[in-house]
Amino acid sequence: MNVAGIGVVFTRGRGIDSYEEALRQGWVPPCRVELSSAPDISLPVYYVAQETITDKAVLRRIRRADRFSKMAVLAAWDAVQDSGIVLEEKGSSLGIIVATAFGPHATTFRFLDDILDYGHANVSPTIFSHSVHNAAASYIAYVLGTRGPTLTLSQFAFSFHQAIILAESWLNEGRCDYVLVGGVDECHTVMEYICSQKLAIADDGKIKPFHFSASPSAVPGEGSVFFLATRTNTPKTYCEISGLFLYGDGIEEAPDMYIFDADGMAGDERGYKDAAATSVMIAGYSPVFGSMMTGSAFHCAAGALMLKHQIRYACPVQDNSCGVNLCAVTESAEIKKIWCVRINCVHEKASIRLKLE
Amino acid sequence: MEDQKEKRLADIREKLKGLLVENLSLEDVTPDEIKDDEILFGDGLGLDSLDAVEIVVLLQRNFGLEVKDMEKGREIFYSIDTLARYVYENTKNKS
Amino acid sequence: MNVVITGIGGISAAGANLVEILDTFQSGRRNGGSVSLFPTVLTYPVFEVRNIARKWHREGMRTLSLALCAVEEALGDAGLQDDLSGLRVGICLGTTVASQLNDLEFYRTYRSAGTAAIDAVDRFLKGNLAEAVARTIKVRGPAATVVNACSSGADAIGVALSWLRNGVCDIALAGGADELNLVPLCGFGSLGIVSDSLCSPFDRDRRGLNLGEGAGVVILETEAVSRERGIERVLYLSGYGSAADAYHLTAPRPDGTGLEAALRKALAEANITPRDVCFVNAHGTATRDNDKVEGTVLAGVFGPGIKFFSTKGFTGHTLGAAGALEAVFTAAALRKGWIPASIGFVHQDDEISVSPVTEKTRIHGRFAVSTSLAFGGNNAALVIACAENGGS
Repeated sequence: MNVAGIGVVFTRGRGIDSYEEALRQGWVPPCRVELSSAPDISLPVYYVAQETITDKAVLRRIRRADRFSKMAVLAAWDAVQDSGIVLEEKGSSLGIIVATAFGPHATTFRFLDDILDYGHANVSPTIFSHSVHNAAASYIAYVLGTRGPTLTLSQFAFSFHQAIILAESWLNEGRCDYVLVGGVDECHTVMEYICSQKLAIADDGKIKPFHFSASPSAVPGEGSVFFLATRTNTPKTYCEISGLFLYGDGIEEAPDMYIFDADGMAGDERGYKDAAATSVMIAGYSPVFGSMMTGSAFHCAAGALMLKHQIRYACPVQDNSCGVNLCAVTESAEIKKIWCVRINCVHEKASIRLKLE
Repeated sequence: MEDQKEKRLADIREKLKGLLVENLSLEDVTPDEIKDDEILFGDGLGLDSLDAVEIVVLLQRNFGLEVKDMEKGREIFYSIDTLARYVYENTKNKS
Repeated sequence: MNVVITGIGGISAAGANLVEILDTFQSGRRNGGSVSLFPTVLTYPVFEVRNIARKWHREGMRTLSLALCAVEEALGDAGLQDDLSGLRVGICLGTTVASQLNDLEFYRTYRSAGTAAIDAVDRFLKGNLAEAVARTIKVRGPAATVVNACSSGADAIGVALSWLRNGVCDIALAGGADELNLVPLCGFGSLGIVSDSLCSPFDRDRRGLNLGEGAGVVILETEAVSRERGIERVLYLSGYGSAADAYHLTAPRPDGTGLEAALRKALAEANITPRDVCFVNAHGTATRDNDKVEGTVLAGVFGPGIKFFSTKGFTGHTLGAAGALEAVFTAAALRKGWIPASIGFVHQDDEISVSPVTEKTRIHGRFAVSTSLAFGGNNAALVIACAENGGS
């Protein structure tokens, strides 16, 4: 299937142009937040600014939506706008697939606040209904006014990969003509605490995708990326996209470039070494948007931009202690195939393949 | 006596408007802009069924009132005026 | 490509396996009662599962335990309990509770002390339903957890159908599971849609739903794979339709066009007309809104004579499991040739032109439909069929 449009909401703004600008600009330091549990410890986080998700025109009809839903709705909206495709109102030709690792957990904790503060019988129905994982997908359908199949998938490492595989299936079997498929995850004070306990945090604010460390360090991020996918060619087609699980079978066909999702979120990253050992050029852009289980979606957006514009973006953090062939400068390049690779905490591997036909 | 009642009703109306704006995420509306007799649901202020159950919780938390019968709730929730009167009638012996 | 159902498994308050559940359906017994799983001031009746096989007990992961019970039964039913290696086995399961980091004790401690033991988080990370089941039964293939609120179980079966048609896997375990949990109990209570008494789907005097818990799993295969395994008597998963209301976060679209679109899509996929459908296993939650919209759509699509029922009166609303459990019950009914009474229904509602069956009823025909409606305006419909010569 083809990528016809892309929408991005991330720490440095909104829209595919902002994202491309950030890829050209390279690394900027994350904001630092004091842990509410230990104010003497500060944690680097790539938060999305409130003004980035303020858009009265798009969000006017969903006044109750929480940050999580707003990030997803704006990225999805922008993907459609970016494609230039006019969707049929009330149409069933658009499917929506939302991938998330943790869902709207900030709202879940707000609901737990209600239970603790007001008791079991006196909680807010509005907060409860927004803590349900499919609220964001429902809002996307509502804002776009489309009535096709709408689904939310939630896993840790591979939600976005599953979403891509399902989107391909839906298009192949004619269940819909277009699929809005994307990922969204948010950060929040409790998640800051969990990250500080579960992950090694990069003190210098730099995710180092090429350390291939057994205990890599992370900088938590948040945001959303959506792709408008379709089987046909459209004026703005970026590239082809397809998902693949590798089950440890290795990567049989070498691309022009690998993008590694190594961002410190899934523990041991030594598994990336296999692919790095080939002569293929390696890139990793997590330092632009932060460590996220759905970071694969951001990497696919970077890959799609590179294929469309025939350009390579320099890796934002270039610590290269293993001496791999990493992409060090931004320059025009002939690229036809990019594999985005992710390895989870039990060493399973999946890739999303981007191709220019 | 009548003055006191009016004063109390005015206080309740003001409090209700503040609660609605704050808890129902009403954007671009300030408490002052909600008219006492404005229809709350549908074409008026534009509230819906989820707001209705949220108001039930607000009445419980802020005034200790239970609205069990949502059919009756329809009349009570017509406007700020009707809501305030309901709160007044059901709390006047408590305070 | 034909996709077949070769195994089914279910667990709910009505029984720990399908034999027990069907027995409960015949007897009309309702195992609802007060909450025993956690302390609460809420007095709503609920449907709790009493017997979870000891070997599937997982501390703090009740949803997973329920799923594993149903998985074991379904695999056994499909004759697949031994060796799954060498096959690409996909796992697609729906849930609501298991997808949320909502451990109240963890959060209470964190909130008051600023720190809390992280084991609740570890349980959550290990408990992703599809991934945890895949690791438990040691299979290789796609694993996806669907979190589509109350239609999750039906949608998960729909996802697996797409996988098989597209060659993503050879066999799929699909379904849903949810435990009774304090968070949704409080949440549904606050929405004013939980009944103080045992629920009465489609009844004039219905006062809301009862929460329940359970799991339902179907084993799906391409017909070619099942034939190769020597399986002959099968059911078919003939169609799946899904449509969004694009209307409201918690209320169904009053005109029911979302549900109707899902139904028509499922029928079209199965290449049948409404007349070919011999019964509908309805979502029937017993809330005012759901039953009115659903009953009206069923009457409109299938006509006044349609035989339908809701099993929520036996199981409660099992949320992410509901669509899957009801697909399992639909499959079981096609196999057995009868549907249960829609328990809890007594009085026809003037606003709904059709009424559900009130006694155990024999069915004749090949095709049946199971419907699901969810929060966020998701609608799903599954068409299940038995072989040409009818049920066994």
